[in-house]
Amino acid sequence: MSGGIARGRLAEERKAWRKNHPHGFVAKPETLQDGTVNLMVWHCTIPGKAGTDWEGGYFPLTLHFSEDYPSKPPKCKFPQGFFHPNVYPSGTVCLSILNEDSGWRPAITVKQILVGIQDLLDAPNPADPAQTEGYHLFIQDANEYKRRVRQQAKQYPPLV
Amino acid sequence: MADSTSDDLEPLFDYRRVQPLNFVCIEDDGSDASPDPSPKRRKIPDTDVVKVDEDVEVIKVVNVEEEDWLAPPPMVSTDALSKIGEDSTIKELRLRKQELLSVAQSTKNMLLEVEESVKRELSGSLKASLDAGAEQPKNPTSERAKIVISIQNKDECKQFRVYMDDKFERLFSMYADKVKLDLQSLVFSFDGDKISAAATPASLGMEDDDIIEVHVKKR
Repeated sequence: MSGGIARGRLAEERKAWRKNHPHGFVAKPETLQDGTVNLMVWHCTIPGKAGTDWEGGYFPLTLHFSEDYPSKPPKCKFPQGFFHPNVYPSGTVCLSILNEDSGWRPAITVKQILVGIQDLLDAPNPADPAQTEGYHLFIQDANEYKRRVRQQAKQYPPLV
Repeated sequence: MADSTSDDLEPLFDYRRVQPLNFVCIEDDGSDASPDPSPKRRKIPDTDVVKVDEDVEVIKVVNVEEEDWLAPPPMVSTDALSKIGEDSTIKELRLRKQELLSVAQSTKNMLLEVEESVKRELSGSLKASLDAGAEQPKNPTSERAKIVISIQNKDECKQFRVYMDDKFERLFSMYADKVKLDLQSLVFSFDGDKISAAATPASLGMEDDDIIEVHVKKR
């Protein structure tokens, strides 16, 4: 019962997404083996922005919602070891709007989260590093950083 | 100045001469004895009429009392007249109200009837057209549900109305024609999954206003 608010909101989010979402993005609640839909976990795809080193990549992201959503933000995870200064080795994205004590507001939509993370890809925040490799290359070796980003984009080709 | 003040005083004297008449009137009102004290008499019937709405018997009693107390002929007549007047106006108002209500109701009914008849006609013509269409191809389904699907590319969203059980290949070729691109270079996806040409909106569980994304393959 405690998840009533979270599930209700997520059902609305999904409904709104089906009618309108930015091109190239995917966001759908996971379907379990028995065919039932689990609204608390969403499998998403974030396309790398055109005109950046991230272009051509379709990066998988999983949103984990808690029963306290939307009071608390979802945990947003790329695959483990994702290369980006603000992504933890676990894959969890470090972003102010996803921080309960910082920029999160219950009114932030799934669409805004995904677009926010897309923005973060090409605009890392060096003031808030979450992994050493991505952070050091970004600070110290711009060329190598660029090469790694482009390589990673190729690792995640379009699904279709 | 002096003349004007004296002029002012004279009218005052004139009024005093007239005053006795007023006094008589006031006395009449207070005693209720005079035969034609129009202002007060009119007030009494008014209150009676208010009672008319609540209880008819009470008024009768009041009337009897008044007849006992006061000079009957003018009172009864004015009373009756005013009552009739009030009653008739109220009745008239009620009638008008009922008329208006009935008019409103009848217009409502009319609208409903029109709506229903239009629906009937539409469904009839729809069935007819479907039947006519069913003779040519092999789709004998009497009612084929339609939905609106948007096809979204990087720049814009185009809307298409399709049958729920129509294979996507028809929509895809229609779209390719419209954007003047080779169908073979286009990939359509729904929720991140490629849509096969043999699938239908129904088979993918699609709803009205769902979005299909189109991607142009890179050579």
